[in-house]
Amino acid sequence: MARISLRYLAYRLVVSYFVILGIMTLAFLLLRLMPGTFADALVSPDMPREAREAIVEQYGLNEPLWRQYLAFMVNYQTGQFGWSPTYGTEVWSLIERRLPRTLVLFGASFIFGYIIGPLVGMYLGWWRGTKRDKSVFAAGLVAYSMPAFWIAWLLIWLFNYELGWLPSSYMMSQYPDDPSLLAPFEQWTWWRAIVDVLHHIALPLFSIISVGWVGAMLVMRTQMNTVVDSDYVYLAKAKGLSERTVMIKHAARNALIPVATQAIVGVAFIIDGAVIIEYVFSWPGMGALIVDTVLRRDYPTAQAVFFILGVLIVVMRLLTDIAYTYLDPRISFEGGE
Amino acid sequence: MATGSSNSRLEAYKEKWGPKVDRYKRVWGRFAQHRLGVIGLFILVMYVMWAIAPSWFAPHSTEWTAYLGTDPGRMTPQQIDSLPHPPAFGDPFFAPMGTTDQGKDVMTELVYSAQNAMYIALAAGLLSSLVGVPLGLISGYYGDTWIDESIQRLADITYGLPFLPLLIVLVAIRGVSTTNIILGIVVKSWVNNCIIIRGETLSLKERSYVESAKVAGASDTRVIFRHILPNVLPLTFVYLAQDAAGAILAEASLAYLGLSDFTAYSWGIMLEQIQNRGFVFEAWWWLLPPGIAITMIAGAFYFIGFSMEDVANPQR
Repeated sequence: MARISLRYLAYRLVVSYFVILGIMTLAFLLLRLMPGTFADALVSPDMPREAREAIVEQYGLNEPLWRQYLAFMVNYQTGQFGWSPTYGTEVWSLIERRLPRTLVLFGASFIFGYIIGPLVGMYLGWWRGTKRDKSVFAAGLVAYSMPAFWIAWLLIWLFNYELGWLPSSYMMSQYPDDPSLLAPFEQWTWWRAIVDVLHHIALPLFSIISVGWVGAMLVMRTQMNTVVDSDYVYLAKAKGLSERTVMIKHAARNALIPVATQAIVGVAFIIDGAVIIEYVFSWPGMGALIVDTVLRRDYPTAQAVFFILGVLIVVMRLLTDIAYTYLDPRISFEGGE
Repeated sequence: MATGSSNSRLEAYKEKWGPKVDRYKRVWGRFAQHRLGVIGLFILVMYVMWAIAPSWFAPHSTEWTAYLGTDPGRMTPQQIDSLPHPPAFGDPFFAPMGTTDQGKDVMTELVYSAQNAMYIALAAGLLSSLVGVPLGLISGYYGDTWIDESIQRLADITYGLPFLPLLIVLVAIRGVSTTNIILGIVVKSWVNNCIIIRGETLSLKERSYVESAKVAGASDTRVIFRHILPNVLPLTFVYLAQDAAGAILAEASLAYLGLSDFTAYSWGIMLEQIQNRGFVFEAWWWLLPPGIAITMIAGAFYFIGFSMEDVANPQR
C-alpha cells in the first residue's frame, strides 16, 4: 500500500527542516530590521543613563547581531523560547495557552470550508452552465472579494448589536452567570463550558467560513467539469447507474485530487484570515498575539509565533502531499532524489 | 492622387493587420459570452474613470464640509451633534451617501479613493507577475536541477511566513507608504505565480515544438521567452487579475490594523476611521460604501480573471 518510499519521506523531512530554518532566519532578520525595540517602551528619557543601559543589557540587546542570531537558533532547536518582555511571562507558556485556541478556530474553519467547498463545487461543476451554477458561482466570487473584517463587522452588527443573540468577542464569557443561554446549567461544568465556547465561536467561525469555502469550490468546479466528459462517466451512465451515484461515486472522487493540492494554499489562506478575524473578535489566539507583539516590537514573542505558524504550514504541506498519494494511485513518490 | 496606389496600401495594411484584428475579435467574442467578465470589465472601467477624473464624479471637492461648504467658519453645536449625517439630498446640504463625523462627504471620499486602489491593484499585480513568471519559467525549464531546487525552496520559505504578519513587519521596516505596501505585498504574492507557471512549463517543455526549436539550435533563453512564454501568457493574466484583487484586500486589512498612509484617500482608511471613531454600528451609510467598493473592485478582478481563464483554456 505504501506508495511513498522511506527514502523519499526522509528526503522530504530533511528539506522541511531546512525550510523551517530558513523561515526562522528570515523572521529573525526582518523583526530586527524594524525600527525601535521593545525596550523603548520600558525606557523613559528622564531615566539615568545607567538605568537605561541596564535595561538594554538585561535583554541582551547590546550583543552583536550574529550572537543574538546564534543564540536564537540554538535555543529554538532545543525547545527554549525565552521570555516575553511585554507580557512578562515565558513565551512558551503564552503559546501553550494560545495555540489550542487558534487550532480550535482554524481547524473548525478548515473542516467546514473543505466540506462545504467541494460539495458545492461538485454540484456546480456537474450542472455547469445552468442558471443555478452561474448565480452560486458569482455569489462565491463576491464572498471571496469581501474584506474579512468588514464581513465580521456586518455579522456583529446583525447578530450582536441588533439581535443580541451572539457575543461579539472573546472565547468564553468572563462571568459564568452572565449570558442567559447558560441558565439551564447550574454549575460551571465541562459541557457548560463547551456550550459557552460554541456560543462564542459562532461569529468568528462563520466569518472565516464565508470566505474560506470559495477556494475549494472553484477548484472542484473546474475539475468536475473536466471529469464530466470523460469516458468512464459515460460508461457508468450507460450501465444505467443513477445520476447521483455517477456524480458522487465516479466523478467526484477523481475530481477531489486537485482539491488536495489546493488545500495547501487553503491552509495559508485560512491562517491569514484567522489572524485578522482573531483580532476583530478579540479571540485570544496566535493571530491576535502576533499582530499585537509585532506592533509592540516584542521580538522574542513575535519570532516564536512566526516559528510556530511556519511549522504549522510546513507540516500541513507535508501531510497534504502524503494524503495526495493515497488519493491518487497514479502518483508515486518511490523514486525520490 | 493615384487612388490605385492608396488602395493597394490599404490592402497591404489589411493583409498585415486583418488577421490580428480578427483574432482580437474572436477573443472578445469568447470573452463577451461570459456575462460575469463583462460586468467585471464595466466595474473596472467605472473605477478607472473615477481614478482619472475624480472631480467629475464626486459631488463635492475634498475641502467641502457639511453645512459650511468650502467657506471657513464654525458649525453650531446642533450642527455638530447631527454628524455623522445620514444621506441627504439638498436639505440641509447635498450628500447622497451621508457624511462622516467630521462633516466630510462619504461619496466624495469614495470617488477620490479609486485612484489609490487602482494604483495598488495594478502595481502589485504587475510586479508579482514580473517576479513570479520569469522565476516560474526558469524553475520549470530547468526542472529537477539545482536551479529549480533553490527557487522552489525559496518559494517554500516565503510560503511558510504568514502573509499579514509578514506584511506588517515589512511595512514597519520600510515606513508606511502606499509604495511600500505594494512592495510588501509582492514579496509574498509572486509565489503563487511562480508555482503555477512552473507546473505549466514542466508540461510545455516536453512538447515537440520545444524539442524542434532546441534541435534547430535555439538557445535556452530563446526557447523560454520565444516558445514557452507566449503559451503561458494567458495564464499569467489570469493570475495577475487575482493578485490585483488580493492586493486590494491586503491593503484594506493593513489599514484596519492602523498601518496605512493617512494622507492618502483609500477605502481601507475610510473603514479604519469609522472604527477608530466608534461609529461602526451607528452609521451604516458610512460603513457600507467603502466595503462595497472594495468588494466590487476585487470582485471585478476575479470575474475578469475567471472569464479569461475560460477564454485562454476553452474546455470544448
